[in-house]
Amino acid sequence: MEARTVVSSAPWVSEEGRGRFRSSATTKAFGAAAVIVLATGLTLGLLVVPPDAVQGQVQRIMYLHVPSIVTAYLAFAVVFCFSILYLWKRELRFDAVAVSSAEIGVVLTGITLATGSIWGKSTWGVWWTWDARLTLTAILFTIYVGYLMLRTFAEEPQAAARYGAVLALIGFLDIPLNHMAVQWWRTLHQPSSILRPGGPSVAPVLLLPLGVMFLGLVLLYLYLLSERVRLERLRHQTADLRLKRGRRG
Amino acid sequence: MGSWAFIGLAYGVALVALLGYLLLLKRRLRSTQEELTALDRPVERRRG
Repeated sequence: MEARTVVSSAPWVSEEGRGRFRSSATTKAFGAAAVIVLATGLTLGLLVVPPDAVQGQVQRIMYLHVPSIVTAYLAFAVVFCFSILYLWKRELRFDAVAVSSAEIGVVLTGITLATGSIWGKSTWGVWWTWDARLTLTAILFTIYVGYLMLRTFAEEPQAAARYGAVLALIGFLDIPLNHMAVQWWRTLHQPSSILRPGGPSVAPVLLLPLGVMFLGLVLLYLYLLSERVRLERLRHQTADLRLKRGRRG
Repeated sequence: MGSWAFIGLAYGVALVALLGYLLLLKRRLRSTQEELTALDRPVERRRG
């Protein structure tokens, strides 16, 4: 993809940005904070808080499953916002944030599907069922995998960004639908227990590790996003340099 | 499988996915940096 013709735009690929071969101090701080907060969250969730009165020990999967999907929603909201910015301004730096965030969102949605499947097997007795929430989460995963694949078919970065942005806007509609699925349809998946009218139905003691794990995953997301955007920037710089070499040659 | 086996599997899968993605990202960064450095090199020689 890097070797294709590029319509690049300064300052995104400016000479001054070419020296950015190392992670910034902020990025490193996000990474370090993520490790500390996630370690704290894991200790609280796996060792400190008591097991759930109904499900027992296996409910501890919730401390990973719920923060994963909420952070994935956040990642896709970033894709949505930066896709709008790209369509408005037509600057590749906005698309770089969108595609970077989409990639991390896909990883987090994959984790949600896997941990949900494991949790489902232990409580429902099946790895998978065509329940509305599960199906819509699988569709969400497929939409953003499709988003990443679609971009590889485009001849030029601007076209990839345009196709991706349009799909991102349509794909984002799946998120409110997915969130409301457990309210609108009779599903095997339990109803929302945190983001619900009337406040969380989860015992406060169980909310602490959930909140800490969510904070840890958001910090990890910010670290990964920062590194992934740096990669996109380096790719643009490489493509820009190739283009200049081609013109000189 | 007991409860802790399911918990271990869930957290293990997530750890592998996140660490795998991080390592892949670092490899892609290193490879792109090397490519960019290689592209920069002839210009530096000509200028020198």
